[in-house]
Amino acid sequence: MLHCIFLLSDSGEVMLEKQLTGHQVDRSICVWFWDQIISQGDSLKLVPVIASPTHYLFQVVREGITFLACTQVEMPPLMAIEFLSRVADVLTDYLGSLNEDLIKDNFVIVYELLDEMIDNGFPLTTEPNILREMIAPPNIVSKVLSVVTGNVSNMSNTLPGATSSCVPWRKTDLKHASNEVYVDLVEEMDAIINRDGALVKCEIYGEVQVNSQLSGLPDLTLSFANPSILNDMRFHPCVRLRPWEANQILSFVPPDGEFKLMSYRVKKLKSTPIYVKPQLSSDSGTCRISVLVGIRNDPGKSIDSITVQFRLPPCVLSADLSANHGAVNILADKTCSWSIGRIPKDKAPSMSGTMALETGLQRLNVFPSFQVSFRIMGVALSGLQIDKLDLKNLPSRPYKGFRALTRAGEFEVRS
Amino acid sequence: MFTQFGATSESLSKASTMMFRIGTDAHLYDDPDDVSIVPLLDSKFDSEKCEALKRLLALIAQGFDVSSYFPQVVKNVASQSLEVKKLVYLYLLHYAEKRPNEALLSINYFQKDLGDLNPLVRAWALRTMAGIRLHVIAPIILVAVGKCARDPSVYVRKCAANALPKLHDLRLEEHSASIEEIVGILLNDNSPGVVGAAAAAFASICPNNLSLIGRHYKRLCETLPDVEEWGQIVLVGILLRYAVAKHGLVEGSIMISSRSLVKYNSEREDLEPCLARKENPDDISSEICSEIADVVSRSYLEGPEKYLSQLSCMDKNPSSMDISHFTSSKSNDDVKILLQCTSPLLWSHNSAVVLAAAGVHWIMAPKEDIKKIVKPLLFLLRSSNASKYVVLCNIQVFAKAMPSLFVPHFEDFFVSSLDSYQVKALKLEILSSIATCSSISAIFLEFQDYIRDQDRRFAADTVAAIGLCSQRLPDVAKTCLEGLLALALSESSNGDFASADEEAVLVQAINSIKTIIKQDPPSHEKVIVYLVRSLDSIWAPAARAMIIWMVGEYNNVGGVIPKILPTLFKYLAGRFTLEAVETKLQILNACTKVLLRAKGEDLSILRKIVGYLFELAKCDFSYDVRDRARILKNLLSHRIGSPYLEEVKDQPEIEDLAHVLTESIFGGQTKPPSCEPLSYRFYLPGSLSQIVLHAAPGYEPLPEPHSLIYDESCNISTDVQGIKTSGVGVAHNEPNENDDSEAVSGSSDEENTSDYSSQESMSGSSESGGSGSASDVNDNAGPLIHLSDADLTHRNRVEVSEENDASGSNGVDELMSKRDLESWLDENPGLNQNSLDLGHVQRSLARISIKDFGGLVKPKSYTLLDPANGNGLSVDYTFSSEVSSISPLLVCLHVSFRNCSKEPMSDILLFEEESNRSPDSSDQSVSESSPVSRSEVPTLVPMEEIANLEPGHTLKRILQVRFQHHLLHLKLVLGCNGRKHLVKLRPDIGYFVKPLPMDIEEFSNKESHLPGMFEYIRRCTFTDHISELNDKYESSLVKDNFLLICEKMALKMLSNANLFLVSVDMPVACQP
Repeated sequence: MLHCIFLLSDSGEVMLEKQLTGHQVDRSICVWFWDQIISQGDSLKLVPVIASPTHYLFQVVREGITFLACTQVEMPPLMAIEFLSRVADVLTDYLGSLNEDLIKDNFVIVYELLDEMIDNGFPLTTEPNILREMIAPPNIVSKVLSVVTGNVSNMSNTLPGATSSCVPWRKTDLKHASNEVYVDLVEEMDAIINRDGALVKCEIYGEVQVNSQLSGLPDLTLSFANPSILNDMRFHPCVRLRPWEANQILSFVPPDGEFKLMSYRVKKLKSTPIYVKPQLSSDSGTCRISVLVGIRNDPGKSIDSITVQFRLPPCVLSADLSANHGAVNILADKTCSWSIGRIPKDKAPSMSGTMALETGLQRLNVFPSFQVSFRIMGVALSGLQIDKLDLKNLPSRPYKGFRALTRAGEFEVRS
Repeated sequence: MFTQFGATSESLSKASTMMFRIGTDAHLYDDPDDVSIVPLLDSKFDSEKCEALKRLLALIAQGFDVSSYFPQVVKNVASQSLEVKKLVYLYLLHYAEKRPNEALLSINYFQKDLGDLNPLVRAWALRTMAGIRLHVIAPIILVAVGKCARDPSVYVRKCAANALPKLHDLRLEEHSASIEEIVGILLNDNSPGVVGAAAAAFASICPNNLSLIGRHYKRLCETLPDVEEWGQIVLVGILLRYAVAKHGLVEGSIMISSRSLVKYNSEREDLEPCLARKENPDDISSEICSEIADVVSRSYLEGPEKYLSQLSCMDKNPSSMDISHFTSSKSNDDVKILLQCTSPLLWSHNSAVVLAAAGVHWIMAPKEDIKKIVKPLLFLLRSSNASKYVVLCNIQVFAKAMPSLFVPHFEDFFVSSLDSYQVKALKLEILSSIATCSSISAIFLEFQDYIRDQDRRFAADTVAAIGLCSQRLPDVAKTCLEGLLALALSESSNGDFASADEEAVLVQAINSIKTIIKQDPPSHEKVIVYLVRSLDSIWAPAARAMIIWMVGEYNNVGGVIPKILPTLFKYLAGRFTLEAVETKLQILNACTKVLLRAKGEDLSILRKIVGYLFELAKCDFSYDVRDRARILKNLLSHRIGSPYLEEVKDQPEIEDLAHVLTESIFGGQTKPPSCEPLSYRFYLPGSLSQIVLHAAPGYEPLPEPHSLIYDESCNISTDVQGIKTSGVGVAHNEPNENDDSEAVSGSSDEENTSDYSSQESMSGSSESGGSGSASDVNDNAGPLIHLSDADLTHRNRVEVSEENDASGSNGVDELMSKRDLESWLDENPGLNQNSLDLGHVQRSLARISIKDFGGLVKPKSYTLLDPANGNGLSVDYTFSSEVSSISPLLVCLHVSFRNCSKEPMSDILLFEEESNRSPDSSDQSVSESSPVSRSEVPTLVPMEEIANLEPGHTLKRILQVRFQHHLLHLKLVLGCNGRKHLVKLRPDIGYFVKPLPMDIEEFSNKESHLPGMFEYIRRCTFTDHISELNDKYESSLVKDNFLLICEKMALKMLSNANLFLVSVDMPVACQP
């Protein structure tokens, strides 16, 4: 049971506190927490469960905002973490994005949401679609209205019908002028390429994202041409598990709007679409670096937004890097990013330069690893193919759209 | 151009922020109190009220105390506008406890709202009303919740379920039965959403009332996939507990480790042929690490205290689980359905649900089916950074206990540079525990990359992991060693200006080399030589110290090392003054070892060098070095032939002694690394305790297998558990007393229920007279009750006072002084509300006082030595409440020796086991007993020896013992006929409590201070008892009722160290 939730800004200021049970938690816990963060550095920011002298703290950090929950008793830690992430998701959804100002400006909505999402430390309503019906998100109209008329309520007067239906994620009487459903395959490629240039690990983490604008209570069936390649998967609660177990068919009544129908993983891929070849050689206090990027397996569609990022080793004093294509930036925290964009036809992009090492150090003894990002529209690199999407129980013929996208996830090249 | 653009974009974004802020509540947050709020609250317009309330909310958000507006805000609860209502509720919940009187004003409106047609209004009213934590309105809330639990709206019923824990939190015992009843109703709800919330309520109200689950078990399992995600997490845990309590552990699961399986098989081989087939020894040993699995399953089942107490005797008598505790997932429908219904949850998108479901399979599924959880668990690693850490912590345990699960998936644990350090360290540990001969090469390739990582701490961990891997897989030790040597060399080459982090890698590398060499020193001789040669370039003191240690340890291994010794020591002697303290100490140790082994002409050279070294050390700055040198010099005097110790030389026996000493200290070959003691604890998968690695308050291990039995006594036993849990819950509100309560709870369950009656002899109020009287309780029960006519009702008194002291020996001293008691009484602020209630209740009740109870009760006797083990000598002991004349820390025991054999026995003596001190004291450090008192008071006051014991005779002795820890056994040796038997004294926690003499007035005075701490009033009617009482007789049935109550109290009391006084109020109805 959570006792309290705090929202902290990136400077450690408590923006909001929401006490959940009768046992009030003093704000001083946040002071303690922030002191720990300051004294132990950012590494603590990444520890989700902290035992303080009086409470157990769970933290989730999103866009600089720390969602901090306290409890004193045993509870599943993942439950707290999942809930905080859900709060962060819902707030992002409501406010457009997350930052300090947005939360402060909309603190009433945040309070109302929190109150609806958790009751006595136990999550109550976390389904975004229902929340949207109970508490209207701020939009331009309501803002204008509130300026003109002084005040306008964002609270719904009635209980959303969905809370009592057997499909709690869907409004009961939806009407859309145009019946549309879009299915997107969004894939992220995780890869590790070791120092010898060998592909150690390459896998795809994919999501089936659906945007449904359908009236009534439709029943959808989605099937894949090659479901056998899927290694692991997780489903939105709306997916009926029996048909999947039997025939690997996704049968569901969709929530309204955008949602993540399923996520999956395809392991042990054999190749990556692009290659990144870093070379570092160091001698007598200087280090020469050169990075080559090129297309290895042409996926058939253009690869864009290619960037290569790496962190200069701490022993590097200064670096002078230049590229024959794209821009190289070195940020204050010694992060170097080389944005390439698209690979030109005529030449292979390369970046090279020298780095000066600390005095006394002859050779580089630690080596950076390079994070690569890219995006390929129109292709699902895992090879997963949607076979067909059947819609039942619909008043009119809907429009169906399919898209695919692959981008780099944790794509790492070691040097 | 760029800067310009940047500037514009910045101002643009600023402007757009301004734009966005228009129409939001920004101004309210920024300047919440720039207008006066009170008139706004009193306004007629909802919009103005709203604004005022938002301002108040902003102030709350910023941490200001605005409770002074309470009266004005409460008025607005009557508003029809839902927004105003909601805001008022938010405010009300925040401050209701601070302003109880004003909060009461709102109750009427809530009751009106509860009848509203809009379910949303009903739900809110209920939520808020239950959130106002006032004891006075608890009955009203209870009625409201009961009504809402039958509401047509699912949402309202869900809120009713959520309201129950709030109500329970007030700890009004008289309502607990009706609360549990409502939980039962809600669990039976046909909407899955309600069931989830009801499960949460169940888990926080009566987690041990598993019979309630039993009624709905099948249906709960079936609805599990439809329950909303948060409910699933809790419900899965409850169903698991129920299944374990009802059906016991599953045969072939991880919980039944291979060891007990072997045992079981050897006993009943013929009966279970299929099991014997499964139990193919080498098959299992490769599959699971039986030792860790054993510990894992043990710690899942046992609370931390029980576990601690068993730790000391674990290796001697492995817990032999009764075979009747096993069940089979194939034959048992309940277990089957649980596994079936939780497997779809492994596909949930909520990582907590997946982990909870995986936990069920981990515990209940047969080993061959556990594979199922691997992929979903690994998939969780991709979900979010925060959950990644938690999931890895759990996988780590799984992988340790059953490496085979994760062996094929080692790639998933490869470290990404974006991982946090904690995640990296966990992944390394998992990798090193699942590495196999086939995967090790790939893993080592990865490790080579990690060593060059920028995070040097992580690199050092990698080196340590390499050492671990080579320990697990001796085949690769050689490769590891080569790699580590190369690493050590390269690290040392740039070590001149290395930071502490840099050094860590080098030190860790040498350490790993050391562990590898330890396994087989002779074959790695060259490595040592190599390291010695590179001493010049290795600068880290810790690394140097380790190399020198290796030289000293293996100085006579192989042919090369002895040859280089003189040169090496010359070098070391020359550099001695430049070394760090750590290294200096190792040099001194090493030269001692070398000198012991040296022969021939080397001896004379070494002798000189060592003499020189000692001289140097004598003038060292560090007194540690000086002391070490002095000791060693004396020990080595016979080898060095120091001129300063001539007087010693005259006495050859002392020289011999020194020689023997030195030999035994330094000459002894270090034992091969024994399996490391499994000192770590495991907690249930997915629990908070597993992450923080201590039992969090409220953590409960799995219930005792097969503890759930259906019969009439079921209700009573669950009642007891209800009290117990609530007691523990209270303890947690009092953070400073947390530890104490935890230390006691759990251990008390078993022992103290059985012999509660004997404990009462210690009660502070009654005289702690002579115990040991063997008279039967039932016969003498009559006079125990003193009836005194106070008024119309029979006013009987039972006073069972118990100063329960949990913090062990040092607490006794505290109790001995009255002043302390006084101050202690003052420290505890009473809950006035409660004490008032109590006073009210007491008027209609009679109090029964049991006097001299202790003297009449036959104390429980424990067996110290079985006649079968002791060649016919049987030794029993009982605890007595006599106060030791030597020290209050000592506990008196009556030990009776009986000779059951045909031969006379002689020289019977109980004494302390000397050799056992060290493990005991290591346990000590875990426990919290103070070292001061230990040094003062002996563990055992020497017993008068029994010279002769004739066959058939019985002799009694009084033994005074000081237990080191109130849960740990005390190991003693029983000598008899010249033979020694190891025996264990079990402590009885009740007897650590000492009587505190005080007269009746003082007692009642003290007692009057006590009310208001934690009071539980339970009512029960014993018609039998009353009718018998009128006859002035006590039948055994009545006696049982008394004891039942007392037992309950004892359970509660001992599970909760905060409770110091128990008084039993017995309602005595007047017979017309």
